[in-house]
Amino acid sequence: MSDTHNEPQPERERRPVLLLAEFDSAGSVLHAAEALRDAGYKSFDAHTPFPVHGMDRAMGMSDSRLGWIVAAMATAGFTTAVALITWANHISYPFVVGGKPPLSIPAYAPVTFELTVLFSAFGAVFGMLGLNKLPRHHHPVFFSDRFRSATDDRFFLSVEREDPKFDLTKTRELLEGAKATHVEVIEDEVP
Amino acid sequence: MSAESKTDEGGDYRLQGGPWASAWKLAAGAGVLGLGGWAAGHSSNPQRAAYSYLFAFLVFLTIGLGSLFFVLVQYLTSARWSVTVRRTAEFFMVGLLVFAPLFVPVVLGMEHLYPWTHVSAEHGGGHESAPHEGGHGEHGAPAAATEHGGGHGAGVYSQEDIERAVHHELLQHKAPYLNRNFWFLRALIYFAAWGLLAWSFYRNSTAQDGSRAEGLTVRSARLAPPATFVFGLTLTFAGVDWIMGLDPTWFSTIFGVQLFSGSVVAAMAVLILTTLSLRANGPLTRAVTVEHYHDLGKLLFGFNCFWAYISFSQFFLIWYAGIPEETTYFHARWGDGPWKNVSLLICLGHFALPFVFLMSRNIKRRLSLLSLGAAGMLVMHVVECYWAVLPNFARNVLELTPQDPASLQPHWLDLACLVGVGGVYLAVVFQRMTRHPLVPIGDPRLSRSLRFENF
Repeated sequence: MSDTHNEPQPERERRPVLLLAEFDSAGSVLHAAEALRDAGYKSFDAHTPFPVHGMDRAMGMSDSRLGWIVAAMATAGFTTAVALITWANHISYPFVVGGKPPLSIPAYAPVTFELTVLFSAFGAVFGMLGLNKLPRHHHPVFFSDRFRSATDDRFFLSVEREDPKFDLTKTRELLEGAKATHVEVIEDEVP
Repeated sequence: MSAESKTDEGGDYRLQGGPWASAWKLAAGAGVLGLGGWAAGHSSNPQRAAYSYLFAFLVFLTIGLGSLFFVLVQYLTSARWSVTVRRTAEFFMVGLLVFAPLFVPVVLGMEHLYPWTHVSAEHGGGHESAPHEGGHGEHGAPAAATEHGGGHGAGVYSQEDIERAVHHELLQHKAPYLNRNFWFLRALIYFAAWGLLAWSFYRNSTAQDGSRAEGLTVRSARLAPPATFVFGLTLTFAGVDWIMGLDPTWFSTIFGVQLFSGSVVAAMAVLILTTLSLRANGPLTRAVTVEHYHDLGKLLFGFNCFWAYISFSQFFLIWYAGIPEETTYFHARWGDGPWKNVSLLICLGHFALPFVFLMSRNIKRRLSLLSLGAAGMLVMHVVECYWAVLPNFARNVLELTPQDPASLQPHWLDLACLVGVGGVYLAVVFQRMTRHPLVPIGDPRLSRSLRFENF
C-alpha cells in the first residue's frame, strides 16, 4: 500500500466502506451470517479457509443465475452448429460424403455436440467471472492485516457500505453480539 | 447432533411391519406365477418363451449388475455421502445370486435363441468338414442335436437352415469361441464371479452392523479395484455371449460398454425409487435426505448422458462405415418395420426428454419430480432391453430375412416372464431387507453421510 508515486495526487476523502468481523470457528461465522440475514442485510460476504456447509442458506443466497447463462449459450452453440453445417454442406457447397444423403441427421451430431459443449463451457467460465465481478484488481478487505488469516485459521464476514442497513454502530453491535472476536472498520478512498 | 445419537441404535433402521416387511412374499408369489406362465409357454410356444424370458432376464440382471457397480464405486472412492443409500444398493446387488438358477430357462431355450448352437453341435458330431473342432462329441452334444434336428425342429430354423448354418463360413470361423461347452463354461465363470463379489461385499457390510470393525471397510476397499476389473470383463463377455450371440453374424466392439451404461442408469433409477418408497414408509426418513437424492439424481443424469454417448457412438460408426455385416443390427431395428418407432421412442424417451428434464438442480431436489424422472428411465430401460432382444425373434439372422410380421406383436409371455424373473429376484432382495438394518449402522463413515450436504 505504500505510495511510490511522486507526482502530487489530489487528496481523496477516505470513508468507511466495510465492517470486517473476525470469528474463530466455522460454527460461529455461520450463526453470525444467519443473524445478518435475519436482520435483513443483503450486501455481505463470508471469507473462510474452507467451504462451510450450509453457508449459502445462512447467508440467504438465492440460486445462482449461472445455469441460465449456460443454457442460453448452449442453445446458441446448438443453433450455430446446425446453421454452419446446413449452410456449408448443403447450401454453399453441396457435396456427397461417404454416400450419405444430404441433410443426414446423424452426421450433424458430433459437430453439434462439440459446439454446444464449447459454448456452454465458455458461458460457464465467463458467466461465473462476470457474476463474481471478476477480474478485480483490489478489494478493500485487503487493507486489513488480520484478513490474511482468512486462508489459514480465521473466519470473516464483511458487511458493505452499499447495504441499506449498514450502520457503523448498529452493525458492529450486531456482529459483536454474534460472537465476533474482533471487528474493524475498513476505510477506502471514495471518488 | 440428534443424527449422531441415532447411529448407535440401529433398531430404528430396521423394517418393522408395514408393506415392505411382507413385500417379499408378494414378489415371490408373483415370481412363481410368472415362471408358471413361462413353463406353460415353453411347452406351447418354446421359441417365443425363450426370447421373452431372455428379455426379462436381461432387464433384472442389468439392475443387479448396476447395483454391484454402484457399491464398487463407493468403496473405490471411499465415498462418505452415499453410506446411507449404499445398503439398499447392496440388497439389489446380493440378488445377483439368484440369477444362476434363473439362467436355467435360457439354457433350455438356447436352441431357439442362438443359431450357432447348431453349428457347434453338428461339428462335434464328427462332420467330416470339421477337422479343427474335436472333443465336443464326447460330451453328449450330438445326441441333443440329432434329436432337435430331426424331431420337432427348432423354431424358425428348419433342417435346411441348420444344414446351411453348419456350413456358414462365418460361424465355422467363430466356432472355437461360439460353441456350447465353452459357452457353458463362460456362463459358469460369470455367475461364480458375480456371486462371489456380491456375497463378499454384502457379507463385509452386514457383518459390520454388529462388530463395527473398521477393518471390514478396509477389506472391501482393497477388494474393490480387482473386483472392478472382474466386473467389467464379465459384464462385457456376458453381453457378447447372451445378447450379441443372438445374431452371430453381427458384431460391435462397444457392445459391452453400452450394456454397462444402461445397467447403471437402471440401477440408479431403482435405487432412487426404492429408497423413496422406504422413506415414505418409515425407516429411511431421516437417513436419506434431499442432499442424497440430489447426488443420486446427478448420477442418474450423468450415466444417462454416458449411455446416450455410447449408444450413439455404436450407431454412428456403423452408419458411417455402412459395412453390411455391421449394419444388420440397425437394419432390423430401423428399416420399414414397427421397430423404427421403438427406436425413435428410445431416442426421445431414453435420452432427449430425460436429458432436458433431469438437468435442473431444482428438479433433482424436488423428490416427486425426481421420482417421475427415475420411473421414466426405468420404463425406458425395459423398452431398451425389449428392443435389444426381440427383433431377433422369428427372424433367420443367418440369411438376413426380415422378421415375420405376424410375430411382431407383443406377447403375453413377455409380461409373464417379466413378472416371473422380477418376482423371484425382488423376492430375494426384499427378503434380505427384512434381515438387516436398511442403513449400514456399523460403517465408520455413517455419521458423515447423515450430515451430508451439497455445496
